[in-house]
Amino acid sequence: MLIRDLFSTATKGVTVNRMRSLLTMLGIIIGVGAVVLMTGVGKSVEGVILGQIDIMGPQTMIISPGNQGPEGGNASMRPDFDALTFEDVKALRTLSTIRTIAPGIIVPGDAQYEQEKVDPMLVGSTPEYFQNQNIKVTQGRLHDQQDEEASSFVVVIGSEIAEDLFFTRNPIGKRIEIAGRKFTVIGVLESVGMVFFQNLDNRIVMPFSTAVAITNRTYADIVTMQAVDDFDIAFADVRALLRQRHSITPAEDGSVDNDDFLVRSAAQAEAILGTVSISLTVFITMIAGISLFVGGIGIMNIMLVSVTERTREIGLRKAVGAKRKDILFQILIESIFLTLIGGCIGIVIGIVLDFLIATAVGKFLADYEFAISLGAILLALAMAVVTGVIFGLYPARKASLLHPIEALRYE
Amino acid sequence: MPENDAPLIETKNLQKSYFNEELETPVLFNIDLTIKKNEFVAIMGPSGSGKSTLMHILGFLDHHTGGEYLFQGQLAHEMDEDTLSRIRATRVSFVFQAFNLLPRASVEQNVMLPLIYHPTIPESERAERVAKAIETVGLTHRKNNLSNQLSGGEKQRTAIARALVTEPDIIFADEPTGNLDSVSGIQVMSALQELNEAGHTIILVTHEKSTAEHAERIIELFDGRITKDTTEFKTRKAKEEDSLQK
Repeated sequence: MLIRDLFSTATKGVTVNRMRSLLTMLGIIIGVGAVVLMTGVGKSVEGVILGQIDIMGPQTMIISPGNQGPEGGNASMRPDFDALTFEDVKALRTLSTIRTIAPGIIVPGDAQYEQEKVDPMLVGSTPEYFQNQNIKVTQGRLHDQQDEEASSFVVVIGSEIAEDLFFTRNPIGKRIEIAGRKFTVIGVLESVGMVFFQNLDNRIVMPFSTAVAITNRTYADIVTMQAVDDFDIAFADVRALLRQRHSITPAEDGSVDNDDFLVRSAAQAEAILGTVSISLTVFITMIAGISLFVGGIGIMNIMLVSVTERTREIGLRKAVGAKRKDILFQILIESIFLTLIGGCIGIVIGIVLDFLIATAVGKFLADYEFAISLGAILLALAMAVVTGVIFGLYPARKASLLHPIEALRYE
Repeated sequence: MPENDAPLIETKNLQKSYFNEELETPVLFNIDLTIKKNEFVAIMGPSGSGKSTLMHILGFLDHHTGGEYLFQGQLAHEMDEDTLSRIRATRVSFVFQAFNLLPRASVEQNVMLPLIYHPTIPESERAERVAKAIETVGLTHRKNNLSNQLSGGEKQRTAIARALVTEPDIIFADEPTGNLDSVSGIQVMSALQELNEAGHTIILVTHEKSTAEHAERIIELFDGRITKDTTEFKTRKAKEEDSLQK
């Protein structure tokens, strides 16, 4: 029997009862579609997060006060909120593995210009703050060491604040009121959007010394810094120094998770993302596996029904000379056709849904871009075909072993 | 004995029993039979006499359980599955009482079916052979019709075209007129006679004497045993020639 005849016969077997074939494929369509969609969405989300990590820079570290424990929480609500003293910051500056250090203070209060009022994230920090977070201005300038030394009442505002307070007017040189004091706008920051669920375009940054003067603080809410070279060594140095300064010893159970501060970094976020990505892949593979298994059972069921229905036809084919392997391959190819066509439909549906989601989400999240995972598509398709082979084998074998005369007599 | 000189079919003490769990039901007893090339043989007998079973064994659709069946000198029980398939594809073909056509396929596609499994006929010859076979049974005008759009007679003629498309040595016909009206029955028997005259060996199974009379030789079966094997019946054509000579 020619391969062409085999495919032609198998195609007829699938297309003769189209609705039934389509319903049979449903499990495969959903399984493959889900894999394509979820890997596509996962890739898009990964792209967004990696983009945000890039904004921060891979060498950037952020220290927050307090032991956040596994459940995290708001820094000001914890008893260790004053753990990062200015003396700690001074000590950190002595570390050779750390390049630039910028202590930061969160200043409470609104900002107002004429009748317009906004509720920004007010930060007081040194010029290194901009350097550490790779922030640039689109208008004016960033505050510098001179402003710092003079405790100038100047601010650099985020793009969203500029738009909310000044609309189309030029904000540079304008005086805005913050916590009852007048500040001169000297620069507008470039838009970076949401970074780790924080809208960085909604911030106002003033010199650190000015913030200290306003708040009379002796401790920092946040310290940003950059590692000189090897992030892990810098991270260990920072932690060891702070543990020593804060007289932290290992807990009674030997645990060293009892810091009263938390060091976070872009590299850590990337590592976490990697772990999440692996977990997601395992999760998706399991879903695909379960779905394809269920779909495969459906296919086996229908193929068994089909073989029973066509017992006489199989008998006839044997009577005119079909060999066992001809019948075996015919049924097997029908089964593979079903899964392959189902897989292709699933891929198309998955890609279309992925595109629609990307279009919809892209309107709110500029960095969210349509992405598909070619590897996942090929894997899903391969799994679909393997499902066809595995679940088609039993009905195919059953058909091939039919005795010609018994099959012809079947009613 | 060289293969070419051997009878086409030879059975020696052939037996067949069906087994249901431990219960043995014998249906054929000590069948000794020789059929030569180009014979037109009718196996006749009442229902349950074992004639269809004998035909299925001779046509390699079923296995015998005792004795010997030699096909051109070769023992059937020594043949493996692939050899049996090859013989079914190349040497024998069938016309069934119930037609056994593919329901959603055209006349052409039905006639094409055996060629798909034929090991030596090239693909390029298929169309020509199919057209010729359909023409032989006079169904050219219906070649594109689906089999379920045909009358009983047309269905059986399609089955005959399917049987002759591979030009087999033997055509087995199992009650070919059983589901047909008398006019269609005569047409089908005429077609089989013409095939015999063209060189094919025809083995016909029937319970009707009038149908069997189209054959040159009638083997009568009763309760699984051959009760009569005669060549006294001749084809209608031969009878006509005889009467003309007289």
